[in-house]
Amino acid sequence: MVNNLTLLIGIPILIGIINIILPSMLKKILNMVLVLYLLFVTSQIYINLSGDIVPNVMLFDTLILSIDKLSFLMIAFIQLLSLIIFVFAYSGVNEKIMSKFMILYPLTIGFSNGAILSVNSWSLLIFWGLSGIMLYLFGLLGNTKDTSATAKKTFIIVGGSDVLLILGLVFLRFLEYSNGWQLWDIKVNLEGEIAYIAFISLLIASFAKAGVFPFHTWLPDYSKDTPVESVAFLPASIDKLLGIYLLARLVLSVFVINITVHLVLMSIGAFTIIIAVMMALIQHNGRRLLGYHAVSQVGYMVLGIGTASVLAFAGGLFHLINNTLYKTGLFLSLGSVEKQTGTNDLDELGGLGNKMFLTFLPALIAALSISGIPPFNGFFSKWMIYQGVLDFAKDLTPGYQIWALVCLILAIFGSALTLASFLKFLHTIFLGRTLKKFEKIQESPVMQWVATSVLALLCVIFGIFAVKIPLEKLIYPVLIENGMSLPIWIGTYSPIMMISLFGLIFILGYAIYIMTKSIRYDDIYLGGMDALEKYRITGTGWYNEIKNMSPLKGFYSAAEIKLFDIYSWLKGISVVFAKILSLLHLGQLQFYSLWIVVGTLILLWVIK
Amino acid sequence: MIGKNLFYLFIFPGLLFTGVVGLIIGWVDRKVSARFQFRVGPPVFQNFYDIFKLLGKEVIIVKDSVKFLFVASPIIAFATLVFISMTIGVSLFFNDGFGGDLLVVMYLMMVYSVMLVLGGSSTGNVYSSIGAGREVKLLLGDELVFIFVCLIPIIKSGYSINFEEILAAQSDGVFGGSISGVIGFLAGLLCIQAKMALKPFDIPEAETEIVEGPLMEYSGPLLAFWKLNHHLMYVAYPFLLIILFFGGFNLVGIGILWAILKYVGIVVLMIILKNTNPRLQIDNALKFFWKILTPIAFTGVILAVLGV
Repeated sequence: MVNNLTLLIGIPILIGIINIILPSMLKKILNMVLVLYLLFVTSQIYINLSGDIVPNVMLFDTLILSIDKLSFLMIAFIQLLSLIIFVFAYSGVNEKIMSKFMILYPLTIGFSNGAILSVNSWSLLIFWGLSGIMLYLFGLLGNTKDTSATAKKTFIIVGGSDVLLILGLVFLRFLEYSNGWQLWDIKVNLEGEIAYIAFISLLIASFAKAGVFPFHTWLPDYSKDTPVESVAFLPASIDKLLGIYLLARLVLSVFVINITVHLVLMSIGAFTIIIAVMMALIQHNGRRLLGYHAVSQVGYMVLGIGTASVLAFAGGLFHLINNTLYKTGLFLSLGSVEKQTGTNDLDELGGLGNKMFLTFLPALIAALSISGIPPFNGFFSKWMIYQGVLDFAKDLTPGYQIWALVCLILAIFGSALTLASFLKFLHTIFLGRTLKKFEKIQESPVMQWVATSVLALLCVIFGIFAVKIPLEKLIYPVLIENGMSLPIWIGTYSPIMMISLFGLIFILGYAIYIMTKSIRYDDIYLGGMDALEKYRITGTGWYNEIKNMSPLKGFYSAAEIKLFDIYSWLKGISVVFAKILSLLHLGQLQFYSLWIVVGTLILLWVIK
Repeated sequence: MIGKNLFYLFIFPGLLFTGVVGLIIGWVDRKVSARFQFRVGPPVFQNFYDIFKLLGKEVIIVKDSVKFLFVASPIIAFATLVFISMTIGVSLFFNDGFGGDLLVVMYLMMVYSVMLVLGGSSTGNVYSSIGAGREVKLLLGDELVFIFVCLIPIIKSGYSINFEEILAAQSDGVFGGSISGVIGFLAGLLCIQAKMALKPFDIPEAETEIVEGPLMEYSGPLLAFWKLNHHLMYVAYPFLLIILFFGGFNLVGIGILWAILKYVGIVVLMIILKNTNPRLQIDNALKFFWKILTPIAFTGVILAVLGV
């Protein structure tokens, strides 16, 4: 009964409970021991899996927990990111919330591990739901005036989607009765209403968790209103892993989907990329900007996993793990800035690159990675996805080809927009004029910049050694296990060779600079005028021309009044329904009995 | 193998070849531009003199700047452009896949703008920041069209992204000979005009308005790198268009003359465009790329899918 899988779930939950009574310092130490121990357990599982030993957990003669290569990929990154984020949080979390944070942290790890390892519908539902509650509770730790409203919004969207998860799993049982409540290796043909309802319900559950359009609107608000460690821990990493894990399962082994559905998934991905990145472009709050990018990046994963191509599928999974690295790094870097300066308002920041160089450098690498600049990891996964889309498109009819190409164009252009958004991000925080009020700003604490530097280093390693490390060790085994062939590259790119040759020229260029240099340090030159602070360019207004261009102006205005926010729509609809339903409250028992009968009849008719 | 790679990188078609041709073409640009303005223009080796003179000059660094970024940016841009030149050149002259495919080159081409923005912004100069903002917006403008431009040869070559396969697909007729190819080439020409910040798209550097924008604080060898980078683009980018739409080079007999004509023809078109158009405002440039050129380029993609 007790094996590595139960340890991955049981130990963190146990420590979460023990932490309720421990003092803060002990909680911290215990959590640090926990995250290191979980990484050790994960390494043991890796060794087991390499030797084809699959640990299982049975309960009442039913298989409840198991692990395969896909779930191992998620488990490995949950433990790795939990460790790195904890290193940051060790000195980063506000003392006022430290106690609660240290209780919720291990519980979340345990529940998330449980959701990933579940192969039974019931255990999946329980762990999935509990991880959603953790998201809500972490949300309540914020200290802005919108904290509770944001936590509620998050709970309604993510928790509401859990209802659809239940519905999807129930319908799945109708479709494959012989399978009982066992999950994953089902391969149901996507034919008939029941199959579509099950597929769409499960899809929405996955989309809401990962933050895919139009179920993404909780994410930017959550990013702004909760502690940065919570944002880095959940929406930037663990929730992405959970949501995309479910999507990958659906596409890989639950449903057999047709070309049109593939194209619809690709379109949702491409649309998510472009809508979210356009919103990110105009943000004045650093956290909201990153929140929109957290949405936008999921678009690439949906595009990759939704494309019927091994290259794109592998690229989608690779992009998932890449995104967790650089997005966590970006949130944490901004968190460091916020803790040192007291603000995350981009208009208030500027010129910190010199003062906080060890925070700036990882942020720069993470920003270039997310923008898809070679040789960093973000480029490699995007490159794989683009190749996959091209590979998929070439055999389609002209109409479908154009459809797939439009998705590709949106994705590539989304990458350029991401770059633009992050150049603004870097400029407004780290570059441009150093403000007088920041002249005495200190570098962030060691634990913080060590955490972000490790993430940046992983971005570099996963970019340069993409094939040797993440692909061959973690992602190719997923493909092989699921009977897929290994990707056949249609393009040419060798990051190792590129970086070697690039390095030689860089050294030559630097040598020329060193040999010829005679350096003088001086003030900013403005034709003899004083460089007054009031004339500085913050960078937040860089894209005003885009914001004011028609028809984008209309789009931005609509977004401002929350026309694209599903939560606002749901809120409006529920108010209308509540008004209608309040008319039925007549206060007489016989009417309530009648409504129950009518309701039951409607329900029976629906599921007949 | 290593010796061959180093030869490609440092001698031909990499640093030495691209640098020398770029500096000479830079002279052609200056000479023809001078003639447009009824001036005599500089001597042939003026660009060489300029670069060597700058290498010997003092570097002034802003006290409060992010010095690492200020120094590294032009050199990283330089190294990237040499790599791009080598990759494109190897495909063009040796018909060999080396370095990277079209998608890789597309992304590497953005590195120049990234470095210009980071290097310029690192100083805190207000003009540099304005120029940096314009550089990014211009990049957004031309990048959308450039994606369509690159897709046209990809589609026409049967969804190949390797340069040698795109060239092989043109052995029976260049893509520039089809309607979609013509659209792609013309749109591509305007894109590289913008990527090189030549008039009418010299908006980020606008000398008379924001005093070279991101380059304002640069001097000495670092400025020399930026100038050299510009000349490298004068070779690499037209070469890229030749691969995508004009079937590359056939350096045998009369083919050598054709090769020179293809390259010079594109450069002359760029110089004419540069000398006959006033600078656009950044919002007008964006509108031009997104509202006029994008639908045209998209039509080109649709035609390419339909085989036209």
